[in-house]
Amino acid sequence: MTAQKITIEPVTRIEGHAKVTIHMKEDNTVDHAYMHVNEFRGFEKFCEGRLYFEMPEITPRICGICPVSHHLAAAKASDALTGQTPPRPANLLRELMHMGQIVQSHGMHFFELAGPDLLLGFDADPEIRSVVGLVGANPGLTVKAVMLRKFGQEIIKTLGGRKIHPVFALPGGVNKSLTSQERDNILKGVDTAIETLQVGLQIMKDWAEKNMEDINKFAVFPTGYFGLTTPENGLELYDGDIRLISREGKEMERFQVADYLDIIQEHVEPWSYLKFPFYKKMGYPDGVYRVGPLGRLNLAEKIDTPLANDELKIFKSLNNGKPVENTLYYHYARLIEALFATERVRVLCDDPDILSTDILNTHKNYTGHGVGVIEAPRGTLIHDYTADEDGKLLKVNLIVSTGHNNWAMSNAVDSVAKTYVKGPEIHEGMLNRVEAAIRAYDPCLSCSTHAVGQMPIQVEVLNPDGTLRQLMQRD
Amino acid sequence: MCLGVPGKIVGTYEKGGLHMAKVDFGGIFREACLEYVPEAQVGEYCIIHVGFAISVLSESEALETLELLRQIGNIEEELGEEPVQSIPRYQP
Repeated sequence: MTAQKITIEPVTRIEGHAKVTIHMKEDNTVDHAYMHVNEFRGFEKFCEGRLYFEMPEITPRICGICPVSHHLAAAKASDALTGQTPPRPANLLRELMHMGQIVQSHGMHFFELAGPDLLLGFDADPEIRSVVGLVGANPGLTVKAVMLRKFGQEIIKTLGGRKIHPVFALPGGVNKSLTSQERDNILKGVDTAIETLQVGLQIMKDWAEKNMEDINKFAVFPTGYFGLTTPENGLELYDGDIRLISREGKEMERFQVADYLDIIQEHVEPWSYLKFPFYKKMGYPDGVYRVGPLGRLNLAEKIDTPLANDELKIFKSLNNGKPVENTLYYHYARLIEALFATERVRVLCDDPDILSTDILNTHKNYTGHGVGVIEAPRGTLIHDYTADEDGKLLKVNLIVSTGHNNWAMSNAVDSVAKTYVKGPEIHEGMLNRVEAAIRAYDPCLSCSTHAVGQMPIQVEVLNPDGTLRQLMQRD
Repeated sequence: MCLGVPGKIVGTYEKGGLHMAKVDFGGIFREACLEYVPEAQVGEYCIIHVGFAISVLSESEALETLELLRQIGNIEEELGEEPVQSIPRYQP
């Protein structure tokens, strides 16, 4: 029996998807489970030979799921490559666009993707356990979620134009300033967005209270945590140094992003295309770490906006001040970050520099090498470019958040399989839990052609002798 | 990183109170929820994330993106077949 291969010509053949392999033991317990991502490999090569300033436009075209993150990371790498430091107003505007992206991405993930798991249950019929079932259970919530995403999306459109691919940031700054009317329109939506996020936080807390057993046995494991930080170790999503803390919460490294190759390295496993980054000094796999909402809140000692900071204090108490290790708390962390991003929109809009027209530094001090980093919704995104003297790219290295979390996702799948697989047959509820473990990390597996609320996932169960026992597939 | 592959909206309908669409990806038809992009029209292209249309593209934008994806696809083919053929047994 061979796995069914879906071929959609011409382009979707290079879509990523997740494949899970579960090796069983003689006694029908799980020996080990892997998740492997069929990452496509051609993109960096595709970029080489192009001009560096094309990157802020090309990368968001390819990644349609978080185009703003790639757009801004590419612009930041280009700033460094040409030595054009953006003026302060340009950085404020870029950060404003980024906050719009965080709100819309996190909001959609919580309400539409995690929501059905949390509100309808892991064992619910897949026909119901999706947004369709959620509308039946709570129609008002769906409307609120749509409005929340619209709030974030309008910020992106106001700055980036009405087209899907933002044309906004360029080396040295941005090409559009904000008018006072546009600013006022953005500000009008802040209070409603905060209210919706508070509803989400209450849903999360009610669910956690009732499902503490699942939370505490569902993929809980120690790792390091990695991400941007403010100078005072606060939550930072746009710019700053990178901090790496240990599984106990102690700072191990604090460095400028340009030095990332001195700190991390990528491990290759024969069963996965996608590499496994780790902290060099500790080696692999001891030096693995997590990024994204859970990682960032574990790193942050405070949040510089009041409502999100109150929530952070509650989050920090979950494991008595130590890093929170529960995969399912990614959802809680995601909501706290969305709350921060919404409050941050107000802070940015209230800054007198936000309306300035001093938005582009055209003075170059060309170096030919630049690293740009941003905290994308899913975690740290690194763009690293080397160009010749004409600006033609010689080398492009991208590390995406799904890469940083690769080990953690595979380990989460292993943990969930070992905890929940009982007996010879794998059931739907088990598949839902595997899916939920991967989904908590919100990986950017391409899902263009997949069913509502479901991830492209294939689960292969192997007998102790390596032969196929069972194949389950969602497409 | 993932790919945002545009699909063409070929029909719209209501399901369970939601605005839905039938979307064509090079001959494979999928269902998508249009609640986030109520402005989307039949004949336009959209990018879908786990079953939700998250943005709408004009035909010219979509065709440009598809062309870029095709070029990347050709590089993938030059890189050869998937090396991940068999999964080694876990060695602790």
